[in-house]
Amino acid sequence: MKRLAGTALVAAALLALPLATQSDFVLTILVFAFLQGMLAVSFNLVFGYAGQLSMFHAAAFGIAAYATHLFGKHLGVGYWGGVVLAAALVAAISVVVGAICFRFRLREFYFAVVTLAFSEMARLTVLNWNSMTNGSLGINLQERPIDGTLAWYYVALGALAITLVVCWRLVHSWMGRAFVAIRLNDELGDTLGINVFRYKLVAFTAGSIMAAFAGSLYAYFLGSLEPGLLSIDTSLGIIAMVLLGGRRAVAAPVLGALVLTALPHLIHFSAEIRSLVYGAILIFSILVMPQGIYGAAAQLIRRHA
Amino acid sequence: MTQLIAGQLLNGAIVGTLYGIVALGVTLTFGITGIVNFALGVFMMLGAYAAWYFADTVGLPYPLAVLAAVGVTAAAGLAADQALFRFTRNNLVNGLLVSLGLIAVLEACALLVFTATPKEMHRVLPGIVMLGGLVLPKMKLVVFALLLTVIFATYAALTRTWTGRAAYAYAQNPEAAALMGVATARLQSGVVVYSCGLAGLGGALYAALYSLEPTLGSLFILKAVEAAILAGIGSVTGALLGGVILGVTEGVGSIYLPLAFRDAYGLVFLVLILLFKPAGLFAGRR
Amino acid sequence: MLEVRGLTKRFGGLTAVAELSFSIVQGEIIGIFGPNGSGKTTLLNLVAGLARPTSGVILWQGTNIAGWQAHQIAAAGLVKTFQNPQLFPELTALEHLLIAGHLALKRRLGWQRLATLFRHAQASQTLAHRAREVLALCRLDAAREARAAELSYGEEKMLGVAMGLMCEPQLLLLDEPASGLGAEEIANLERVLRDLKREGMTLCVIDHKVGFLRQLADRAISLHHGAKIAEGTPEEVLRNPSVVSAYLGRAHAAI
Repeated sequence: MKRLAGTALVAAALLALPLATQSDFVLTILVFAFLQGMLAVSFNLVFGYAGQLSMFHAAAFGIAAYATHLFGKHLGVGYWGGVVLAAALVAAISVVVGAICFRFRLREFYFAVVTLAFSEMARLTVLNWNSMTNGSLGINLQERPIDGTLAWYYVALGALAITLVVCWRLVHSWMGRAFVAIRLNDELGDTLGINVFRYKLVAFTAGSIMAAFAGSLYAYFLGSLEPGLLSIDTSLGIIAMVLLGGRRAVAAPVLGALVLTALPHLIHFSAEIRSLVYGAILIFSILVMPQGIYGAAAQLIRRHA
Repeated sequence: MTQLIAGQLLNGAIVGTLYGIVALGVTLTFGITGIVNFALGVFMMLGAYAAWYFADTVGLPYPLAVLAAVGVTAAAGLAADQALFRFTRNNLVNGLLVSLGLIAVLEACALLVFTATPKEMHRVLPGIVMLGGLVLPKMKLVVFALLLTVIFATYAALTRTWTGRAAYAYAQNPEAAALMGVATARLQSGVVVYSCGLAGLGGALYAALYSLEPTLGSLFILKAVEAAILAGIGSVTGALLGGVILGVTEGVGSIYLPLAFRDAYGLVFLVLILLFKPAGLFAGRR
Repeated sequence: MLEVRGLTKRFGGLTAVAELSFSIVQGEIIGIFGPNGSGKTTLLNLVAGLARPTSGVILWQGTNIAGWQAHQIAAAGLVKTFQNPQLFPELTALEHLLIAGHLALKRRLGWQRLATLFRHAQASQTLAHRAREVLALCRLDAAREARAAELSYGEEKMLGVAMGLMCEPQLLLLDEPASGLGAEEIANLERVLRDLKREGMTLCVIDHKVGFLRQLADRAISLHHGAKIAEGTPEEVLRNPSVVSAYLGRAHAAI
């Protein structure tokens, strides 16, 4: 009950926020943070809960961004049609990539390397398919399917909320238990009747679909597309958000997303310094604080309770 | 046409030795510490920039610059090992994450210090050699010969010296080796430092042939890991062979397929190898 | 119930199981004896789907399950426990059993269990209840909230059995359940296994410790170098000279 009340309070605060601050700057940062939060939470489903270090998440994000624009433009389905088709495309690709990886029973490290390879292949495709993607120059998005920072704020908040609810329900169901079993001892899970292949694939695909939605929204809020969306840098950023925020709670990665999104705006970071910070956070989290902010806070509360 | 292919073959073999020396570092580190050190790419980059700095800015003669670069990289490797890798032995995922973090940090530093503008080192050994109708820059041959020497020297050291054989034994059976008095912590650190030194050497020699950018490490490490996995992670001669195979197929392939796909071969190769033979093509051989 | 015919498993040059044939009848406790290296664990792994046979047939209720995947075989009613306890680190004993309830839920609801993902599940109450029942049966109530690392070796092994039970098996394969246990724990294990038999479960127990199986099993088979060398009641098998020589060496068989 306490948790429900707390969540309701946070939700109410977030909903009412635009009334308290008219600052476009703050709202813009929050939109980015919410969308990155979607990315981080969905990645955590695959990595933190099911235990699969997927380097393909950024690719899902970027492919959906490009696909939304391309479907919208070439098939005339408009923005929202493009969003749905892009998600479907990403789902299909994820099923194929996931099926290949899991069918061959790749262990965590090799899975990471193979998904990295697939992700790079996707990036190279986008980089070189000049006729469709305009290569390294990227595409400027002229359409404004959602107008105004305030509208974007509520759309992004809504999308994040849906992502959180979906992940929360999955994690707290029998399927979530199957994920945990796979993460902790998949051989044991196998002998207990858990179809490890199937549930790894479900986690991977579900995560990718949510990343796809995030990508469709993010690119149009940003206003441009570029191959860097699919780069290893993006993957690094996602991992950093999750490690920083915490892996053991569904909403914990949002903390990481908030910090990492807000930071470059509060302290003016060049792109290089941003990479440096991500890298440092990665190292710091693994060596010093593997439980993330959420875990560390939870520990502190437990100790003083 | 055949001349073009032959030229690419030769070129590919030379580039292959560069992949090979970094791949050797990858394979040695994996055999002894159980993690694949993706960060070797940035150590290569470090070595390259260090050599350029010592040769062009400080004015040292090239051979000294190379030695200095290797020294710098090895020292950096020691620092990284003590501060970071020491805590992720045998944990592949954590090791990967820490390596990725280190790469981001070091590349960002290089970008800040040297900027993205490509750096060109002065011509160390100008002039070409004619090999039966094929034109080869002298420097490339020197690099080729040097790298081969170092790789075979490493192989010899592993199989003939006491330290080398201890390392070999440790990779086969860590517990037994420890019981026989092999200082495992020192061995592991030693391997990391040596691998970084190898990568640094590769980088320093790379600097004499190509222009430098802070991202050269990332491009190389993927190839090096591909080469190491291709040939069987843990195999010394395999690392060289893997590198050469990769270099040659890339070179020859670039004649027939667009440049954009050059990087993709390695990736496809890598995926196929990992799917069908995660232990590599030459697994079992050393 | 289970019939194995001509089962063979070769690892390169080593033959772990050689042309083995035997059958298990419903409701019995069958013991498989054999010294270390006789192929007992490999046999169980083959039957449970953790290894693929080189040749031979494994008939489970008439269907050949050789080459099936482990989870499919578990779903068919054949569940195996591990000799070295396999557990989920950091989880409590109860949580282990909740995870092990996956199969039963799948059986009960089939595809409809997808609906429970987004509705508050009635299934989780039944599941928790069943988990507590199994904990009680295995006499692990006290350890319910204990994390895997805090359990004693005997409790770990018992937890393995408990997890197997949650899968509602028709045939439970126990890989050396008594090894490493103290006398009291063995007595506890025996009590649990007898309770299971009384409830109609079929058990196949392998062990190299002869004393434990002698009292428990209805029927026994002895393995040596992957082949069956004796079959019958435990007493008959243990008196068999080839069995004695396999365990103790040729000189003793003559005595």
